[in-house]
Amino acid sequence: MGVYEVQKIQFNELVEYSLEFLSEPGKASRLMTKLEDFAEQNSVNSNALKGVFKSLIAIPNGALKKSLNVTQLKEDLVNLGLSEEKADYFCQQWNSNLAALSKGALGQTLTVNQLVDMEWKFGVTAASSEVDKVGNTFLQLKLAINTGNGIKNTYMELTLPQFYSFLHEMEKAKASLEYLS
Amino acid sequence: MAAYCNFDSLNVLLKASSKDIVIRLCNEAAVHSGTRFSETITTTAANCLSVDNRNAQQVLQSLKSLLQAAIFQGYTSPTELQTLFPGSFHKNLRDLLIKIIVDNINSWKTYAINNQVSLPRLVDFDWRVDVKTASDAISRMSVPTCILQMQVQENSDKVGQTADISNINVELSKETLDTMLDGLSKIRDQLSSVAKR
Repeated sequence: MGVYEVQKIQFNELVEYSLEFLSEPGKASRLMTKLEDFAEQNSVNSNALKGVFKSLIAIPNGALKKSLNVTQLKEDLVNLGLSEEKADYFCQQWNSNLAALSKGALGQTLTVNQLVDMEWKFGVTAASSEVDKVGNTFLQLKLAINTGNGIKNTYMELTLPQFYSFLHEMEKAKASLEYLS
Repeated sequence: MAAYCNFDSLNVLLKASSKDIVIRLCNEAAVHSGTRFSETITTTAANCLSVDNRNAQQVLQSLKSLLQAAIFQGYTSPTELQTLFPGSFHKNLRDLLIKIIVDNINSWKTYAINNQVSLPRLVDFDWRVDVKTASDAISRMSVPTCILQMQVQENSDKVGQTADISNINVELSKETLDTMLDGLSKIRDQLSSVAKR
């Protein structure tokens, strides 16, 4: 049973699954359970359904990659044999989910040494073996970095002037990022 | 009184031909870390004072413990510093040493604070902002991203060795940078509220 013969409601449901998956590409296992439930409810072979569903993902995925507009997407769908009505529904859904879809695709984009988490503490050094009364402020940072080979934690200590200059520079970087986006 | 200072060996300083030599030796001793002074330092000191290396080592060690005591106690006035010396100590040499200590104690203290034991220390950092224009996931895009490189000096494994400085590179998306700045501003707010108190 091909995707084109499925009743309208079932088709709409599958479109929803497809766009949901593309918005959150990390949640593949959720998609699998949904597809299996769907296959059970409609008494179809779940493996065959998954095969058909692949194209339902491949088309919008390709459209995202090539930044196709709605008209181009509809043309593709109709050329591939989808009825006008179904293609319209697909495009309408596509349009309303476009922001989430692009975000999902952007999230897939490679990031090297991504910063995952930061923890900090600051305090005052009261005394040391060198100096009896100190009283200067320190700041300690822990950065969790996703190296692609597990999470790596790095620790560092900043003095107060270093902290302020770091903050200032990061604000400059933020301003530059905001200007560009 | 400085506990472990061998004041007798300090008398060798009287052989110094000029005040500058004593000042230099004091500086050498104050910024020294580790247990023994290196061959080069002792040899130059020995030549200046026309004594052998063993005596030079001794005088440097004594100077170091004297200066450490002064820095630790935070003595800045001549009267306080006088208490470090035994009554029998050579008076002119004592006054000279006190004068040198008074002149330099602030910079030595800053040095001691900056070089105290710590976690890996941030040395320097650089950043750059890129715009990602294409990727395997999407053919056309415009996503700014920030790359941050931090130079961190790790703790050295060996005594008397300067630790390696390692680079840490991270890529920050706009959201990550926002979150990080959020945390940093929180720190700044707390710091300024502490300062106001």
